[in-house]
Amino acid sequence: MAAIEVRDLVKTYVLSETHKVEALRGLSLSVAEGEFVSVLGPSGSGKSTLMHILGCLDQPTSGSYQLMGRDVSRLDDDERARIRNEEIGFVFQSFHLLARASALENVELPMLYGAKRPGREQRREQASEALAAVALSDRATHAPSQLSGGQQQRVAIARALANRPRVLLADEPTGNLDTRTGQEILDTFSQLNRERGLTVVMITHDRQVARYASRSVEIRDGRIVEDTASSNGA
Amino acid sequence: MTEPAKRSNLGARLRIPSVEELPPESRTAVEVARQSLRRYPMRTALTLLGLAFGVAALMATIALGRGAQGAIREQVRAAGLNVIQITAGNYRARGERPVGGIEAPARHGRAAPAPFGAPGDERWLAEVWRRIEPVALAHPENDPMEKHDHPTAAERLGDSAAGLGAAATLTREDADAISGLPGVAHVASGIHESVRIFSEEGRWFTRLHGTDVDLVEIRRSFALQHGRFFDAGELRRSEQVAVLGSVARDRLFGPDADPTGSEITIWNQPFEVIGVVVSTNWMNPGAPGDDEFDAVYTPFTTVHSLLNLTNLNTITVTAASSGRVTEVSRAITDLLRERHGILETQADDFTVETQASQVLSKGLHPKVAETLAGNIPNLERTTLRQLAATLERSSSTMSALLLAIAIVSLLVGAIGISNVMLLSVRERVREIGLRMAVGAKTVDVGGQFLAESVLVGAAGGLLGVVLGVAAALTIESRFGLQVELSVITGLLAFSVALLTGVVAGVSPARRAARLDPIVALGSE
Repeated sequence: MAAIEVRDLVKTYVLSETHKVEALRGLSLSVAEGEFVSVLGPSGSGKSTLMHILGCLDQPTSGSYQLMGRDVSRLDDDERARIRNEEIGFVFQSFHLLARASALENVELPMLYGAKRPGREQRREQASEALAAVALSDRATHAPSQLSGGQQQRVAIARALANRPRVLLADEPTGNLDTRTGQEILDTFSQLNRERGLTVVMITHDRQVARYASRSVEIRDGRIVEDTASSNGA
Repeated sequence: MTEPAKRSNLGARLRIPSVEELPPESRTAVEVARQSLRRYPMRTALTLLGLAFGVAALMATIALGRGAQGAIREQVRAAGLNVIQITAGNYRARGERPVGGIEAPARHGRAAPAPFGAPGDERWLAEVWRRIEPVALAHPENDPMEKHDHPTAAERLGDSAAGLGAAATLTREDADAISGLPGVAHVASGIHESVRIFSEEGRWFTRLHGTDVDLVEIRRSFALQHGRFFDAGELRRSEQVAVLGSVARDRLFGPDADPTGSEITIWNQPFEVIGVVVSTNWMNPGAPGDDEFDAVYTPFTTVHSLLNLTNLNTITVTAASSGRVTEVSRAITDLLRERHGILETQADDFTVETQASQVLSKGLHPKVAETLAGNIPNLERTTLRQLAATLERSSSTMSALLLAIAIVSLLVGAIGISNVMLLSVRERVREIGLRMAVGAKTVDVGGQFLAESVLVGAAGGLLGVVLGVAAALTIESRFGLQVELSVITGLLAFSVALLTGVVAGVSPARRAARLDPIVALGSE
């Protein structure tokens, strides 16, 4: 079963009556479970729009989207919030950590909004596990400002893992990091992909970064122009 | 390293209530809100304080207002809605009874009216006067300016002694007769003199009240700080015992001294001090010139025997209930007219008052009385009820003013919360976007901000109530103003704060909930 299956995705932003922007123009993509796919494209290619739709933050103008076999393209706000909470983990370019919360509290965040709403003890336990998975157990009580960029991004990854989602969406995860730290982050993704069978979709404009994925999809003007298996080298 | 520790400490100190009892949906909102409030302790504390001061002001104002009203009620009661004062001579500008215009020569000590025309009975004379000069509207009796120069009093006692109540028309037999009337609770004879009192330490010019044992029952604001009041035996034996008012005591023996057992000299006669009376009424703590506490009380019999007098200046009566005052005062008037042998057509030779001037001179602080007297037209005709209403009105005006100030400060507090919350929404747009990205629903985000506001409202309300109680008690102890605190007031102030929190939180919560997660995440 494909983890992600999108068909003929169209997203048109109507800015005014005469001015429309077609961000996606009939894009189809299938990502198998356990795949590590990079979506490559320059800015304005539509890759961010694709990311938002895949992450259920936005809805397509037309076309279908099946996530883990379920059609999620026409869900309402609350249902999409639930999908984001349970099925998807986000990693952002600028980390998006709560500045005044500790690493552990940041990782606990998605659990606050889950349908299960685990108790304090369970949250703490699950968050600690996630932090251990990114080798940051010793930094649990630190505030983001006390952590390096790489460590902050790893906290963000731990947060994305907290609710044990099936799909990880990363939007330029190395954009704010130097090359060496960026590599560490990419290694973390590879490792999670390999060891946990996590489906990873990573958006980037950098070919070097894209090489870390097992498959590379290139977008231009809202369409896929290239879809290649890469060497998946580290 | 120390930074996060300090923060959590500060956060822990902001007492925020437990969430365990809430349903799961709102639990998250409250929990997240608590976290957020703890993470911004300074902002939370400032918002909370702003509200707390508003609530405290409201609370203190209500307590003060209710206290003032209570004090006035007490005051009116203490002054005696049921007190009837009978003064010798007729000093009324316009009497209750239509005055025929002819003043019959008042007489003194008449036990029973003599038959018409009998020797000593001068009613026939009045009758003659009436026929000769049927209407004499310009009689001095009708002129309020003449009240200290009453012809009857002047006739009998000479100008120098013709003060208020100086007419020698009342006797202790009158008082005894009055005490036999139905509906009369207490009767106190009174004879009043200005005296120079000497003690070992000093001397003081004050009022001497020759009075009755019942006076302590009549004067509800009296409390015996030391010693006791004189008793019936001492009254009967005309003993030279004296009870000092607090002000006179202060002057003669020093503040708060216990002079019981000491000797004072009045009219070159030794008197034993047996007690000190103080006021229980905060509005009238006793001041120099005050008729009640800048005074000395002795048995009226002692005054009679020392000064060789038989008349009374006043008889103070209390009706068994305030509802019977009119009935009783009418009965007294009829009784005294009969006893004094006054004809239908003649004016009273005494004055029965149940009116506002009584309250003003007896109950209130002299300065307050003076101010009120100067500001109430036709004071003589103002009834006690009207006076009470006037006092209530002035106190509710003051309360309304204070309340307005309190509401303004509360409004400032509410606007403060709303502002801080709106700012905080704007400041935390990215955080909101992130929360939405990780699965927070609109209700979660809105709930968080609403809960933050409500928690600040609740905590501010609690703190405000505590501060308000403290403020009220401080006002009471420092400024001697009466305050009235109640659970209801506390609950009211707290609910106002809570409501403020809810109202102030609605708009920021809506704003936060309506954010588009993509836009929110992208904002820097």
